[in-house]
Amino acid sequence: MVSRLDGETHHAFTDLPWLLESGDLLVVNESATLPASLPATGRLGEIRLNLSTRFADDLWLAEPRWTASRPGPLPLIEAENLKIGEATAHVLQQYPGISRLRFVRFDTPASLLMAKYGEPIHYSYAPAYPMPNYQTLFSRFPGSVEMPSAARPITRHVRDLLRAHGIGIAGVILHTGVSSLEIENDVVEHQVLYPEIFRVPEATANAVNATHAHGGRVIAVGTTVVRALETAWTPKGVRACSGATGLYINPANGVHAIDGLLTGLHDPVTSHLAMLCAIVGLGMVKRAYADAIRNRYLWHEFGDSHLLWRQAAN
Amino acid sequence: MKGIALVTGAGRGLGRILATFLSGQGYDMVITARTSSELHEVSKSLDGTGVRLVAISGDITDPAHRTRLVQQTGAMGGLALLVNNASDLGEIPRPELVSASLDRFRLTLETNLVAPIALIQESLSQLEKTRGLIVNISSDASQEGYERWGIYGSSKAALDLASKTLAAELRPRHVSVVSVDPGDMRTRMQQDAFPGEDISDRPLPEVTLPFWAWLVSQDPARITGMRYQAQGTLWEIPA
Repeated sequence: MVSRLDGETHHAFTDLPWLLESGDLLVVNESATLPASLPATGRLGEIRLNLSTRFADDLWLAEPRWTASRPGPLPLIEAENLKIGEATAHVLQQYPGISRLRFVRFDTPASLLMAKYGEPIHYSYAPAYPMPNYQTLFSRFPGSVEMPSAARPITRHVRDLLRAHGIGIAGVILHTGVSSLEIENDVVEHQVLYPEIFRVPEATANAVNATHAHGGRVIAVGTTVVRALETAWTPKGVRACSGATGLYINPANGVHAIDGLLTGLHDPVTSHLAMLCAIVGLGMVKRAYADAIRNRYLWHEFGDSHLLWRQAAN
Repeated sequence: MKGIALVTGAGRGLGRILATFLSGQGYDMVITARTSSELHEVSKSLDGTGVRLVAISGDITDPAHRTRLVQQTGAMGGLALLVNNASDLGEIPRPELVSASLDRFRLTLETNLVAPIALIQESLSQLEKTRGLIVNISSDASQEGYERWGIYGSSKAALDLASKTLAAELRPRHVSVVSVDPGDMRTRMQQDAFPGEDISDRPLPEVTLPFWAWLVSQDPARITGMRYQAQGTLWEIPA
């Protein structure tokens, strides 16, 4: 589905090269997905520890859940220990404002535990697929706990067609955290967003600025890319930048670095949807989503795609 | 074991949160504050965390007290993380600069500027051995020029400049320095700064935990000289 000011049109994903123009730039997230769901045992019995944000290999923000389909918060207490195989995870403080997330410190590098015991994080709406199903063509730097899925339908074939049409592809890195908690607070303005680790390389910053200088359009492939590029944006353009971003993009602050967003279909009342409203306005999001429902589009990371233009395309 | 951390002003507010957080991270701790009853309470609350913790009450403007602290971190194996958190708000209610007591101003500078630098001088040989990190706690009052914040604000502005200078001077010696503005928080100091006002809209100092988790996970050499806002939306690693 493509949303412009004057309405929605419907296409196959392989039409994408013809929906863009020579000189446009797609920016993709090169973060690869980790098997971040760990089986853990402790005082509460067998639980799942879904890792969310890596601070260091032995220090993560994590979401303890009863099972894949049954969320917390779990009545864990500070300083209690969980066992993951032979390894120990120390339960530390709750994340401020998000009771479902806790800091956890491991006595063994979490990368080793994921390699040995980890599965992809999944929720009740989809089964657990094999790990390669959670990677995209552009997954290069492991660090996400949920697939940055907007680029998933870009096959080698589509990529080659894009290149043949003179459409550039550049990469950023933003390691995604868990998305489960977004139902915790249904008031968009009161949402607490945890920070995510990101990097906008110099080459990509230059490519974005050069595209704009030549009158081309920059299309973020996924909300993660919007977050990274907007964090790196200054009135002089996008700069190389890395660290942790807690930027919450909503209609009040708007977007500057991008002209379009290629994304999936998002649940109501999530920060993703607030971002969509920042790009095209609430009216257009409502109109597009009504059309998506009418046309039986599929939601979530294995669902259909949606291209939104910040302004009417020529 | 992560190393030895020294946190000043650890009896309440942000310092207490930092002491709790760092011991949870596996740092062995030396904590200090002027009010021994509060310091004792923090010490007791961290019993059973499995790290070594030594609480020494006293005033960091007292050279003999600083010597005790630095001897203690040395005896435990050498300081790796120094958090200069103890701060003096100055006269309450906060005066305008033109009518401020100069003697009281000097006391604020002693606590907020001179004592942190003295602690750095005295612990430098330990920090060099561990390639350690110094964290100087700052304030947005150091940047803005708010009315009646001139005493505290100028002391923190001077500390910010000292942090940047130290970062440049100590880079070849592999000691790193950052300045951190924790943002407004619901603490005793905030209440003292706004006597009689309702400060319940300010978040508890726990709001800074994600920042500390991020900071202690960075390679200190890559972030030295930076000034961070713990409640800000970007914690940047310079190129």
